[in-house]
Amino acid sequence: MTLQLEKVTKRYRDFTAVQNLNFTISKGEIFGLIGQNGAGKTTTFRMILDLQDTTEGIIMWDGKPIKKINRDILGYLPEERGIFPQMKVEEQLFFFGELRGMEKETLKKEIDFWIMRFDLQEKRHDKAETLSKGNQQKVQLIASFLHRPKFLILDEPFSGLDPVNMELLKNAILFLKEQGMTILFSSHQMDNVEELCDHLCLLKRGESLFSGSLLDLKKQYGKTKLTVHSDMADTDLEKLSGVKHVGRDRDGHAVLTLEDESYARALFEHFSNGQYIEKFSLDYLSLHEIFKEKVGATHV
Amino acid sequence: MRLMSKFSVLVKQLYKQKIRTLTFRLMTLLYLGLICAFIFWPEIKGLLFSDDAEIVSVVNETDFDVAPFLQGNDQFDWQVVDADSAKKNVEEGEYYANVTLTDDQGKLSANITSLDPLPLNDQQSISGLISQMGQMYAMAQMDLTAEQQAVLLSAEPIISMHTLNEQASDGKSTEEKQAGIFVSYAIGFVIYIFVATYLSMITTEVASEKGSRALEMLLVSVKPETHFRSKLIGVFLVAITQFAIIFGALFLLLRFTYGGEKWTLVTDLLESMSIGYFLYVIGFLFGTILMYLILGALFGSLVSKVEEAGQVMMPALMMTLIGFYVMISGMGNPDTLLIKVFSYIPFTSGMVMPMRIGATDISSIEPIISFVLLVGTTLLLYVISLTFYKRSVLTYSSGGLIQKIKTVFKVTT
Repeated sequence: MTLQLEKVTKRYRDFTAVQNLNFTISKGEIFGLIGQNGAGKTTTFRMILDLQDTTEGIIMWDGKPIKKINRDILGYLPEERGIFPQMKVEEQLFFFGELRGMEKETLKKEIDFWIMRFDLQEKRHDKAETLSKGNQQKVQLIASFLHRPKFLILDEPFSGLDPVNMELLKNAILFLKEQGMTILFSSHQMDNVEELCDHLCLLKRGESLFSGSLLDLKKQYGKTKLTVHSDMADTDLEKLSGVKHVGRDRDGHAVLTLEDESYARALFEHFSNGQYIEKFSLDYLSLHEIFKEKVGATHV
Repeated sequence: MRLMSKFSVLVKQLYKQKIRTLTFRLMTLLYLGLICAFIFWPEIKGLLFSDDAEIVSVVNETDFDVAPFLQGNDQFDWQVVDADSAKKNVEEGEYYANVTLTDDQGKLSANITSLDPLPLNDQQSISGLISQMGQMYAMAQMDLTAEQQAVLLSAEPIISMHTLNEQASDGKSTEEKQAGIFVSYAIGFVIYIFVATYLSMITTEVASEKGSRALEMLLVSVKPETHFRSKLIGVFLVAITQFAIIFGALFLLLRFTYGGEKWTLVTDLLESMSIGYFLYVIGFLFGTILMYLILGALFGSLVSKVEEAGQVMMPALMMTLIGFYVMISGMGNPDTLLIKVFSYIPFTSGMVMPMRIGATDISSIEPIISFVLLVGTTLLLYVISLTFYKRSVLTYSSGGLIQKIKTVFKVTT
């Protein structure tokens, strides 16, 4: 059971929002779609959800065109708040559940379960508009997967959540994955993507720069991030062979970006000189760093 | 089956939500209050204002007996007094007014005096009574016999209407036309109030869902056309509910208060109208409301936030307002060219055509053409709006109505 996008393009007259996009998501996988604002993430989601037509290409779910599937297998959390401000929390969840064809008994159990899990017991009879931004986000989240869809799309699910609630959500996402749910999500917080995603697609101005596993993406760059304890001045470090860039972390360790992984051995010899060395760590670049490198943005 | 189920869930949610709103309850109570005030006006008037009739003195300087006329009029407390007493009491405010009757070359002359200017209604009542006395006074001066006076008094001509065109009916009587004007005015008013209320409700409803982004959540589950239809039917059901409450209460009050006396007056009025008239009225009423609801849902889908709803529905509200004022203009003369033209325009025909049907002698084909135009336009608008709704409902843009429409075309074609 997979989602498959083949050569998907979306054009608005003279503007191309998504260009020749290809990726596949397997059953039970968490897939990240990342890119700057305006990269085409929401447009892609809307095409998958059949809220917008594709200009070219095809989107399939389990071998069938997405337009022909039962819409109740889909769940969606929009980027912006999408709940009824005047409706009470419980009433709202009942409405969305009923709309998804859930039976009252099952619905009640699910609502109780998720309200408990997201710590909303005291708010269940409050109007949505009276809730904090974070609690509204939690209600909306529950509404999006209350009916246990087979495929869940989360557009910026961590937006507006504090670290505690973010953790709650991460656990919930992993729980849903365990239940066999396939999840596609976007986020500007790369650490979350790195933590949750099995595979990802990196978008820039509607075009895919990379699609595959996180490890494959990292391998493209190799282990070029060297953190080392050294008393040498940065200017001297920059002169070392194979060093592209020098920085410092919060602990004062030098963080060297290498041209290539192969320089690491020689540098180890240089820093240790056969002696004990407090820190020498060779790592892959973080997703955040790769994103900046690939997309060329000053911020994400 | 699944589609129906989702449709029902949406309709049920909208219906429950709107019926529970404070606005709906207050508006319904307001209408009921107005109806009660209308029906129980004599009692309310009695409670709020003194029942005692104002004293109007009469100084009769002729030898004509005015007592029978004064006794037959209970609007004022008439008292025949001498001139000095009248002047003094009017000046002191004891008497509301004084009428001094004199003979002026064989004609009755009346001089009305009051401390303050009289209201128009009272002025007309006193003048009307004096006119009656004047006619009788003039007859009395002619030395007519009692029989001759009786003939003159019953000299109202018998008028009947016939038309030579065999295809046309003989036409409505003046009473039927007056009843038609009255009933049509009431119906036009109801249509105007309901259209304005529910056009605003549906536009705001769709705009609010779109603005809060709840629509995106809904449209993942239901197709835009299902959502569009659910809004139409949901709001239409709310309108029918309010209609039923108001007219149910009106019926009960008329039927069971004052021993059904007012209901008899209504049935007498309604009996002068044909069944066909009422069928047309029902058709125009619901057709017009439905057509404006379709427009309202479409306009609501164009805005990005609920605050813009008022701006986009303004053209539709203007159309209803024009229809209402054209209908009002028909109260004086329902046969004008203006009335005829607007009785065919689908956006105004609901308010104007019932007046033409009830108060003029139009051929039977004219209401049919107007109704077919209304139904055709409603269907056409439904199809166009449905197609457009699918495109506009997830398109967010700024600017005026035209700019929003342009944006929808730009991003969806």
